[in-house]
Amino acid sequence: MVTLRSPLLLAALLALALPLCVQASSAADPGVTSTSILIGGTVPLSGEAASGGLTAKGAAGYFAYVNAHGGVFKRKINYKYVDDEYDPSKTIQATRQLVQQDHVFAIFNPLGTAQNIAIRPYLNSLGVPQVFVASGWGGWARQYKQYPDTLGFIPTYTGEGIIYGRYIKQKTPKAKIAILYQDDDYGRELVSGLKKGLGSKARQIVSQQSYDPTATDVQSQIARLKASGANTLMIFAFGKFAIQSFVFVKKLGWKPQIFVNAVAAATSVMLLAKTSGQTEGTISIVFFKDPSDPKWAKDPGMKLYKMIMSKYVHADYKNGYYGAGMASAFAMVAALKKAGKNLTRKGLLRAVTHLDIRNNPFALPGIRIKTSPTDRYPIEQAQLQRWHGSRWYSFGKLVSAPRG
Amino acid sequence: MTRQRSTVLGVELALFAAAVGVLAILPHWLSDFRASEVAYVGVYFIAIIGLNILTGYTGQISLGHGAFMAIGGYTTAILVGHHSMRDLWTIPLAGLVAGAAGLLFGVPALRLSGLYLALATFAIAVSLPAVLKKFDHFTGGTQGIQLFGRPNYTGKGYQNVHVLGQTLTFNNWLYYLTWTIAAVLFLVAWALLGGRAGRTFRAIRDSEIAATSSGVNLPMYKTLAFGISAFYAGVAGSLFALATTFVNPDTFPIVLSLYLLIGAVVSGLGSLWGIALGALFIQYLPFLSSKYISKAPGAPSVAYGVILVLVVVLLPLGAAGLLKRIGVPLTNRLFKRS
Repeated sequence: MVTLRSPLLLAALLALALPLCVQASSAADPGVTSTSILIGGTVPLSGEAASGGLTAKGAAGYFAYVNAHGGVFKRKINYKYVDDEYDPSKTIQATRQLVQQDHVFAIFNPLGTAQNIAIRPYLNSLGVPQVFVASGWGGWARQYKQYPDTLGFIPTYTGEGIIYGRYIKQKTPKAKIAILYQDDDYGRELVSGLKKGLGSKARQIVSQQSYDPTATDVQSQIARLKASGANTLMIFAFGKFAIQSFVFVKKLGWKPQIFVNAVAAATSVMLLAKTSGQTEGTISIVFFKDPSDPKWAKDPGMKLYKMIMSKYVHADYKNGYYGAGMASAFAMVAALKKAGKNLTRKGLLRAVTHLDIRNNPFALPGIRIKTSPTDRYPIEQAQLQRWHGSRWYSFGKLVSAPRG
Repeated sequence: MTRQRSTVLGVELALFAAAVGVLAILPHWLSDFRASEVAYVGVYFIAIIGLNILTGYTGQISLGHGAFMAIGGYTTAILVGHHSMRDLWTIPLAGLVAGAAGLLFGVPALRLSGLYLALATFAIAVSLPAVLKKFDHFTGGTQGIQLFGRPNYTGKGYQNVHVLGQTLTFNNWLYYLTWTIAAVLFLVAWALLGGRAGRTFRAIRDSEIAATSSGVNLPMYKTLAFGISAFYAGVAGSLFALATTFVNPDTFPIVLSLYLLIGAVVSGLGSLWGIALGALFIQYLPFLSSKYISKAPGAPSVAYGVILVLVVVLLPLGAAGLLKRIGVPLTNRLFKRS
């Protein structure tokens, strides 16, 4: 018979409550030395959305280029990006590691809507800048009073949805519309934007199907959307789900006019989708220069991009996600310069809320990246583009992405 | 015989006291962030004790313990996040809710054994995320529930915590909270398994027919094992939610259930003495295999698999078996000399 010896036990338990001294955490703007700036951020490097992780590699390439040319006020920018597998609970853990263990100065280019919503209260309560969030969710701008340390970058999903809605209303007013969307704030905001853009024509949405970001595929959703008799398909999906959508549409012999949202429309993704999917004629929007578009062959920005790709990134330059990352990194460098020699988190926030960049070499000409403390929408312009053969052809003028 | 047994008990108690002592002073040498990692080790420690009671002692394989953790985690998250309940009170409640779920599942599980039971439990782990998403007004759906900054959440996810006249950083608070509960639950399991219930569990594992013919109420004890085991998982899930400051269906993925079983096997089924190693295995091996072996896609998983196979081949009885191999000759010598 086992009996527990209570005095020993008591002693053992008391040991747990031993007086313990704890090192005080004093952290006045960590991550900055006279020779370096450490920034960090999460991106998916593995899993369903891994293509988005290339933005971080492109950004890191641009920082390497800037560092090789003297850095910012002689400080080299070190950008530590970590994999969160597009899983918000991993985003939280990885972000805490960046802030508490690595002592980053700011979180830069963290990717994903749900992922950034999950870390936003944490970063804001510590006053860590969460800048150029790689997500077009409008909440970054709308809720700036509650979360002043957070700033987005690309046009909002509402604005993007409105652009598609208006285009459909104008060009094919009798369209019967089917929507596939990711079941989170990202997908839902695109849907609500589309409805705003369609206005009274929103009644012509005949079917909406959602998928969960952890699902395996979207075959049944596409089958149901086809069965609705729609002739227009909105793909508001990311990563492999966007690719699968094109593939299943072809498999089912369906020939709708397809629209795909911009973050899923990189040429590399489309080429993959094209191999066994129905991509011809698909419409999307674009705001960064597409490296596979020959019209930029002589463009200085594109030349810089290709140089950085071959010298620092060592990867196929045709993938547009690298360029998106560089556009974001360019804005970050501009903000760090604007924040001045005496770099503080407050100074960086002041800088990112007083941006006016007209010469981002990686964004479409004419795009102005402008913010103010009450206007947190950095990029608000885009151009429509149509997929033909194996690349995108932009058409029409630069349009503004409405805030809705 | 009794003298030898009391020597073993003495050695075990000394081992336990030493472990408690090390754990109590460990944060002095750990960075704040490492302390939060070791807090997660404590969470897995608790969950593996629970799984070991079910699988190691009673012989019922569960591939779904991540789901019981999720039930515990969501209980805490809903109570703290939506109803502003004091977080500490939700920990036992989370255990009870998960325990009740375990008891309920234990009833149909009576009809299944071996592989079929493993598959049935795996089905809970697979289906739970879908259930959580279905009732999104209650569980927050894929957006999950944010605990960060909630009024009755100790430390709110980042503030220093004042406890027993001490000021702890949030991570150190998590560390002590988790390991205090782990130590208590370890003692409870130890007392339970060393007594009548433990003997009964082992009898069931070794031969159900023999156990029945010795007068063991088989359905009752098998269900009870499920309930107790799920209680442990629920407490672990609750602490996991508090440590992560957030839950959503991805917080408790299907692989978590597999990791727990792997942890239990590495710990050594049917013994409580190797569990710390199993818990460390879960927390650190995936990370270490990607950091030190290869970052190439898929390579960390392969490395993980190879290490796991090696551990199982070299230590078929897990860490506890190794401890026994080293420890038993030592205690024998101790006994002979005394």
